[in-house]
Amino acid sequence: MPDSIATSLDERFGERPRTCTAGSGAFAHYELDPGIHDELFHHDGTPREDCQRLAAMLARASPDDLAALQDGVARRFLHEGITFTVLGRAEMSEQIIPIDCVPRVLSAEEWDHVDRGLRQRLTALNLFLEDIYHEGRSLRDGVVPADLVLGCRQYRVQMRGLKVPHGAYVSVCGTDVVRTRDGFAVLEDNLRVPSGVSYMLACRAAMKQAFPRLYRAHGVREVAHYPRDLYATLASLGSWGGAPRVAVLTPGRYNSAYYEHAFLAGEMGVVLVEGKDLVVHDSVVYVRTVAGLKRVDVVYRRIDDDFLDPVTFREDSVLGVPGLFEAYRAGNVVIANAPGTGVADDKAVYAFVPAIIRYFLDEEPILANVETHLCRESDGLAYTIDNIEDLVVKEVGGSGGYGMLVGSQASASEREEFVARLRADPANYISQPVLALSRAGCFVDGRLEPRHVDLRPFVLRGRDEIRIAPGGLCRVALRKGELVVNSSQGGGCKDLWILRGNEEAAV
Amino acid sequence: MMLARAAADFYWMGRYLERAEQIGRLLDYQLTRLVDTPARELAHSWRVLYDVVGLASPSVPTDADEAEAFLIADAYTLAGTLVEDETQPSSIVSCWGQARDNAKQLRPWLPVQVWTSLNQGFLWIQETDFPAAWAAGPPSLVREAIRRLRLVAGVSQAMMARDDAWRFMELGRHVERLQHQTSLVDSWDRSGPLSGASASVWWADLLRICSAYELYCRVRSMVVRRKSVLAFLIRNPELPRSLRFAVCRIGNLLADIDPGGARHPLAPPHAMALHLTAAVEMNPLGHVAARRGEEERSGGHSFDSLLKDSLKLHDLTMAAYVDYPVEEGLPS
Repeated sequence: MPDSIATSLDERFGERPRTCTAGSGAFAHYELDPGIHDELFHHDGTPREDCQRLAAMLARASPDDLAALQDGVARRFLHEGITFTVLGRAEMSEQIIPIDCVPRVLSAEEWDHVDRGLRQRLTALNLFLEDIYHEGRSLRDGVVPADLVLGCRQYRVQMRGLKVPHGAYVSVCGTDVVRTRDGFAVLEDNLRVPSGVSYMLACRAAMKQAFPRLYRAHGVREVAHYPRDLYATLASLGSWGGAPRVAVLTPGRYNSAYYEHAFLAGEMGVVLVEGKDLVVHDSVVYVRTVAGLKRVDVVYRRIDDDFLDPVTFREDSVLGVPGLFEAYRAGNVVIANAPGTGVADDKAVYAFVPAIIRYFLDEEPILANVETHLCRESDGLAYTIDNIEDLVVKEVGGSGGYGMLVGSQASASEREEFVARLRADPANYISQPVLALSRAGCFVDGRLEPRHVDLRPFVLRGRDEIRIAPGGLCRVALRKGELVVNSSQGGGCKDLWILRGNEEAAV
Repeated sequence: MMLARAAADFYWMGRYLERAEQIGRLLDYQLTRLVDTPARELAHSWRVLYDVVGLASPSVPTDADEAEAFLIADAYTLAGTLVEDETQPSSIVSCWGQARDNAKQLRPWLPVQVWTSLNQGFLWIQETDFPAAWAAGPPSLVREAIRRLRLVAGVSQAMMARDDAWRFMELGRHVERLQHQTSLVDSWDRSGPLSGASASVWWADLLRICSAYELYCRVRSMVVRRKSVLAFLIRNPELPRSLRFAVCRIGNLLADIDPGGARHPLAPPHAMALHLTAAVEMNPLGHVAARRGEEERSGGHSFDSLLKDSLKLHDLTMAAYVDYPVEEGLPS
């Protein structure tokens, strides 16, 4: 990015604040909606307390300055190869993720609430996973319908009775958190191979360069230690005396998140391997090096269960490692996340997470769930069909914005087609109300406007500690009125600034 | 700990970057001559260039006037094959793309500055409007490509640790250089200058392609003769593009990668490297006064056998460090 623009913009933050309100001046096109929480402004159009400096700086910046800044950030992403791949679109195989140069700001108190909720949720989900693969108390007690769990495509019978080191089924979790007028809620738990953390770190690096003084003045909490935390988490699971050898297992460079796999391996200083780089011999996993085979203790896999091991799971998988699961069963290697964790982020099981928290922790959920209708139940199916225009319908195992229908944005024929699919296989779907996701200030088409956002914080669970980077991937739907924020659906990302509390700032 | 697949990627990245630069050097030489070289000589050197990169020679009209018209009008078509043709494995675009593919696999090991310089170069050549560039001045395009390739080399030199990643990349670079230089010197010698053309200019051109002319003049003399030029390009230890320089570098890199293999009994790649060094340093090949075929009769190495041995060296290296059987790789 042009340093002169970044510097000049950034230096202006120190100037005397100019009045800046939504609907006037630089924010002339910033329309507030009383039914939607705005992250930058109060409903009366004045900036929120924690956003005043940011709003003042934006008010002073010219559209050309902001456009040049945005272009500079995009160019930096392009040159550094910070890219993702859109499935099924060969002509656009490598794209940079759109980045919006206006950060979103959360106060220390707001973050504390989210942080506590995430810890509680991951603790409960790990206990739930241990239970369903061992005693099954929660199933017997009717906390979650047994057929829902045992019939789930992500339930792995191979995991039954298998002792997972330290009960850490889910070591890395990326929970999608949204905010509505009622507060924060969890939209999805991504417990298999959540991605996006590299974009969080790339956004932060870009924003620090763009607004060094503004960033410093805000007292933003740091996220750069995430790779170290990730390594510490993984290493804690595989410590049998010496320093464990950790490997990141990737499907390869054609995977949509390959950049992230490479980035994390590089930042952690561990090897990035593909299935063909690993060999299992006598139930021990080795990596092929130029100096012969070396033992691997922990595999941070970024491959779905199905493709992990052709001997145990899908036999046509060419991405996995033959015999890996047997080595895991023998206790000679740790796989993170453990196979079979996907059952707990199934969208139908999701509806029962508040009950799971109450059952295992005897606590009320700190973060709410979104109201969910299970189409496997006749009432839920009838409600979904009758109200499909007002609902979002999702496949229980879907992700990335694929296999879903936003009723209000679909045509009549698309809704009809979806209803037919619902009737044919109701257990495969759930529905949720269309959420009025909060909106944050964005620079789009040369002006400042609000766009819907969500938030994916990353939660790490090691041997006996949960770590959460204070921040997350803040995804933004860049098209006006669009609610789907996934990058595969045209969404972008922006930096999320979690502010230090008063005590922390004083320290 | 160097992952075997990553080592292979570093090796190939080095090879492709070197290959791209070599093609660039050849084209820079040829395109610069378009202005004032007779068509007959241009046709001759196109044939040599295509031969060096292993392509069928372009057919040139025998009639002098037609040849003149063809060579000038189609010079950029001939050059384009070696620059922008993505279906041509030896083109600069292909080599750059392959090197970038290798680098992409190596992101965890590669300093971000190295990746960025390589990626920026690739994006530049991908976005180049070739017809416009040819119209504006082809030598500038090729020189810009060479400049960017050297930037990658320089950034790598400055940023990369001297570990196995670096060694494998350098190994690839020098194996490629050995093969290319052998092929170049061989083709040049086989073709020779056209009758009536100046032999000393012909051999001086070869020195210039190899960035060796100034050094040659300093070390030897201003008198440029075949025997002296060949000996210089084969045996000079200080010239980065001499065969001797490449084989010595290969031997040293292998010794650093696998010190155990450098001790008796030598590991197969080490043995081959030593064999190549001996072939270049101590063989009658150095006595290049002999015309082609006489080396074999005198029991020495021909360029062909050097080339074959360098291909074997590649295979042996891959077999020893990348594609070895599991049983051989298990810890003892």
